[in-house]
Amino acid sequence: MRPEAIAWERAAEVHAAARGWRRAGAIDEATLERIREAFPDPCVTPGAVWRVLTGGMVAAIVLCTFVAVALGLWRSSTAIQILLLLWGAACLVVTDVLEASPRSARRGAAGATSLLGVGFFLLGLGLFLVESVRLHVDDAIDLLLVAAVCACALAAWRWGSPLFAGLGGVALFCYLARLPNGRILWLLAGAALTGLWAWRLDEARLAPSHRISAAVLTVVGIGAVYAAANVYSLDEGSLEHLARLAPSPEDLPRGARLAAAVATVVLPLAVLAWGLRTRRTFVLDTGIVLLALSLVTLRQYVHVAPLWVVLILAGALLVVLALVVERALRRARSGEIAGFTADPLFSDERRQQILQVVPVVAAFTPAARAPGADPGFAGEGGRFGGGGAQEKF
Amino acid sequence: MSHGGAPRGRSVNPDVVRAIAGLRAGDVLSAGQAAFFDRVARRGVVSVRFEIRALLYAGVLLLTAGVGVLVAQHQDEIGPLAIATGIALAAAGSLIWVTRRAAPFSWGEAPSPSLAFDYVLLLGLLLVAADLAYVEMQFTVLGAHWAYHLLIVGVLYLLAAYRWDSRTALGLALATLAAWRGLSLSLVPAALGLGVAADLRASAIVLGALYVAAAALSAWLARKAHFEEVFANAGLLLLLGGLLSGVLDDREAWSVWLVAVLLTAGGVMAVALRLGRSLYFAVGLVAAYIALVRLLFEPFRYGQHADSIPLLLAALLGSAVLALIFWAHRRMRER
Repeated sequence: MRPEAIAWERAAEVHAAARGWRRAGAIDEATLERIREAFPDPCVTPGAVWRVLTGGMVAAIVLCTFVAVALGLWRSSTAIQILLLLWGAACLVVTDVLEASPRSARRGAAGATSLLGVGFFLLGLGLFLVESVRLHVDDAIDLLLVAAVCACALAAWRWGSPLFAGLGGVALFCYLARLPNGRILWLLAGAALTGLWAWRLDEARLAPSHRISAAVLTVVGIGAVYAAANVYSLDEGSLEHLARLAPSPEDLPRGARLAAAVATVVLPLAVLAWGLRTRRTFVLDTGIVLLALSLVTLRQYVHVAPLWVVLILAGALLVVLALVVERALRRARSGEIAGFTADPLFSDERRQQILQVVPVVAAFTPAARAPGADPGFAGEGGRFGGGGAQEKF
Repeated sequence: MSHGGAPRGRSVNPDVVRAIAGLRAGDVLSAGQAAFFDRVARRGVVSVRFEIRALLYAGVLLLTAGVGVLVAQHQDEIGPLAIATGIALAAAGSLIWVTRRAAPFSWGEAPSPSLAFDYVLLLGLLLVAADLAYVEMQFTVLGAHWAYHLLIVGVLYLLAAYRWDSRTALGLALATLAAWRGLSLSLVPAALGLGVAADLRASAIVLGALYVAAAALSAWLARKAHFEEVFANAGLLLLLGGLLSGVLDDREAWSVWLVAVLLTAGGVMAVALRLGRSLYFAVGLVAAYIALVRLLFEPFRYGQHADSIPLLLAALLGSAVLALIFWAHRRMRER
């Protein structure tokens, strides 16, 4: 990243924190203004809606022009390849120019052009490898995955994009899964990635966006280790399906299944313990998700009760757990236990309340009545879904 | 104060930690303020509000799914009366918990007594709705008018939203009322021209207009004014989605629908600019852009260069829209 871009990001971090202090009423408007003056941020930073709108419109312009030109050249594969690589290069150059200016760096346009640029480049390369070089498809996929890792890593480093860091991490593990002993490579590379980036999560020398990228890579690493160690994934050979040469189940070393069963139980607990000890909420969230996955895995092997009992008990347990945790935190001295609190601190509570409507409406709205259906009871095949639980009889 | 050379050390946000020290030294922050902000920035205290919310959401999701599976798989063994009574008791338990903790009714925004409040309310409402659906299916209380059970559920959600000041219940009420009319609160099917029937289109437009009117009234009369955004966003999606489906689907009268979309979207954008609502502006702008792209493609439906030229024109139009976005953003910021 450019040094000036890093400086803008650092100032933006301070502004964001100060806005949170102001929102919570911890400072007044005059203090907020003095903080802004002390840490000037020259960038124009629109809200999320404007950024998405700008990014979407830029993407529409680029794609429309590309398709318009490509339609005239569609008979020649070589011409399409050149066009894809040209468009990709143009998008990447434009991204670099946009990122250099405080007026355009955070408007959403650079995000769209960088994503399209990398996408065009990889598509062009893929077509080149398969149609011009005539590589075997498996070889082309391997090369393309390596290229994706490199391109995403460069983009994440140059423009500080956590999205590219995540995509690069995913591409790396897809590539490793295709090699012999992919599962072991996932374990080793996942552990290495987690170890490498977990130490840099708070490193002051890194730009704020690079620290977020480090967090994303830590989660990708933990996820890879868990996916490789999970006993269900081992039994089903989930990773081996991705390999070029799938090993037979007899190739499993002795004791691997037992080790996987132990890891399925221990890993989520270890991640949870790490999250609690370091008070990193993203690690805590990862641990909760892994624990849920392990419980689903357990249900796959141990049928202690019918599905409806498990669902109702698990749901009730979660609600009660949340109630108990909130109550305990509220009643604790200063409203906190071991550094954890249920208070919003400096987060935007109003925004979160509005945002929570979206998943609720998405999950619990009953299915729309069939258009033109005459009122009248069908007698059979009715749908039980008034409460969002849509089960057919 | 310069930004270079941020401090080394293990802190959650080294930039903010360093800034707090500088602001304290410059007497911008008091000692008390600096100490607390520093503690939060160093992760000395961390909020788990999001995690509690996520647990509650997952809990409600699992509970309602479990009830669904129970009813679907075991209705013969347990018996309809026992199932209906069981669900009703669970719903009553949830709603009694809510009633006992709720603040008195107010037309203003009432702070939620706890994080769990909204989710227990949601659980109670979903169980009531499930019970109503089950009772209707088993005992055909509404008879030939069975489809109205969604209307009843929607109205129930709406009343609960007002009584217990819940945006979540309101969002669910609006989506359920739309579902009653056979609609889904999504622009996507309409935008993709996936054959929206004329009666559905009319329903979308009428319901959307009603929701938008409710949003305006909420703000104007200061009656639950904070519900405005939920009403307006749902209303604009339905209204503009309905009009847009006319542009994309109706081959005879698409130009009339086009004028309607452009007028409505223009009005929405003008009001959004005046009120400083970026989301309303975005919805209006996207609807107008899609409608205009349809217009651009019309003269080139047949003949040479039938594809390339309209695409280039769409890109040109996109550039103009981009300029409009920058202008509107600057204008909203200045206001």
